[in-house]
Amino acid sequence: MAVQGIWSGTISFSLVAIPVRLVTAVEPGRASFHLLHKKDHSRLSRKMFCPTEGIMVPPEEIIRGFEIAPSQYVLMTDEELESVSPERSRTIEILEFIDVREVDPVYFDHPYYLVPAKGGEKAYQLLVEVMSRTNKAGLAKFVLAEREYLVAVISQNDALELITLHYPEEIHDHEDLSPGIDTISSEEEARMVTTIRTMINDFKPEHYANERRKRIMDLVTQKAQNQTPVESPAPVDEAEEGPADLVAALEESMRSMKEHR
Amino acid sequence: MAAGTIWKGIIHFGETDIAVKLHSAVREERLQFHLLHEPDKVRLRQQMICAVDKQPVPAEEQLKGFELEEGKYLLIDPEELEEAASENNRVVVVHEFVKNSQIWPLYLNRAYNLEPDNLAKGYAELARSLIALDVAGICTWTMRKRSYFGALQANGGLLRLSTLRYADEVVLPESFNLEKVLLSDKELRIGSELINQLTVPFEPAKFQNEHQAKLRLMIENKSRGEKITVLPPRRLIPTESDQLLQALEASLKKAA
Repeated sequence: MAVQGIWSGTISFSLVAIPVRLVTAVEPGRASFHLLHKKDHSRLSRKMFCPTEGIMVPPEEIIRGFEIAPSQYVLMTDEELESVSPERSRTIEILEFIDVREVDPVYFDHPYYLVPAKGGEKAYQLLVEVMSRTNKAGLAKFVLAEREYLVAVISQNDALELITLHYPEEIHDHEDLSPGIDTISSEEEARMVTTIRTMINDFKPEHYANERRKRIMDLVTQKAQNQTPVESPAPVDEAEEGPADLVAALEESMRSMKEHR
Repeated sequence: MAAGTIWKGIIHFGETDIAVKLHSAVREERLQFHLLHEPDKVRLRQQMICAVDKQPVPAEEQLKGFELEEGKYLLIDPEELEEAASENNRVVVVHEFVKNSQIWPLYLNRAYNLEPDNLAKGYAELARSLIALDVAGICTWTMRKRSYFGALQANGGLLRLSTLRYADEVVLPESFNLEKVLLSDKELRIGSELINQLTVPFEPAKFQNEHQAKLRLMIENKSRGEKITVLPPRRLIPTESDQLLQALEASLKKAA
């Protein structure tokens, strides 16, 4: 099965180095909604457009710039960006391990998978198994394009997940929010606990996805009875779909996820 | 400094109703890069481009459609569907509780801190109960015309609501068909010892975003016309499978 590769390099802990590829763990889901052109119902897609020349711009003509003053840019090539932290752009070095239970889930940002590249299958599986046995996760810093991420490497379901973490300064203070005071009687509290116990089940996320899909299909079926579907002319040059630039690919996947719900 | 109130709701299950206010739990800060067109250095914009005309299409000329089959669309606004389907009230309905360990980080999306609204009877007790039983409440609710599915969890005395990704949005590792490799007891034992040796308490405060500072410096230097030395990225030599045990033993010795 083809996997969407975003990055390739090595993950290491102490003297062990494992060649891996970073792949997406999250997809936009059944993207059944699309934007269409009112005029002819042709499909619209998001592309990079140069407003001066009035044309779509191919990935090889795109360069990254930092705005230091209005419309004044300092240009950065991919090689220059990679060399800001050269020890971290092709290597994920796990410097320490932590107990998985100590991580407050609020730190988790975006998940990916690491899959072993050729030759790394054994070392990969070793890391998966020993982290699972010891219930530990690895902490590392990782640089992808212009950003440095603090990441957790977690063993889940016989594979390695890499999850970017928020930096502590990005987490909102919450000490002032919790009340710390009791407002109901101990009998009421005991009843609450009993109720919770009776409501404990195994987590089956597909149940909720199916409910949502069913609701949408019921309504679509209803609408389809009163409405004639429109035909969309076949889009030209399907090969142009998708950016080659890896950061643009990441940003696009995150954007399309917000859109296609 | 806490973020402002985004929304107000009522957590409901059994005989329990707790009025809460939602605050975002995370704020992102980062250096913004713009994408430019190489030849003329003009800033590029993301536009919705028509597949046929190859020209950008303004919002008033855009329609939303649901794809019934390839090339055939039913013109529907997804918001129409959400509205029709949703309860459109302020209740966060808890359908069930599940063990926290079953909610993989993969499913967690956006986190919100919950502040009790006025007295909010039962807030502190619910937080205590969730921790004692080590469970999370699985809920659904509607916020600003969109329906959400999420997990209600406790963090100390604080209640937090996190939106969850739907099952069809998540890639499960089975799809990778990873090769099963035989590992020796010794490799597993030494590997486990090594991990335990390298284990420390989780202290996120010690991690600084060093890259951001170095990047800023590079940008400043470049803007002054200074030459940038491009260093090649560090690449490690992968450990060969038959060298794995040796590497593990050497690592353990080093860590001790």
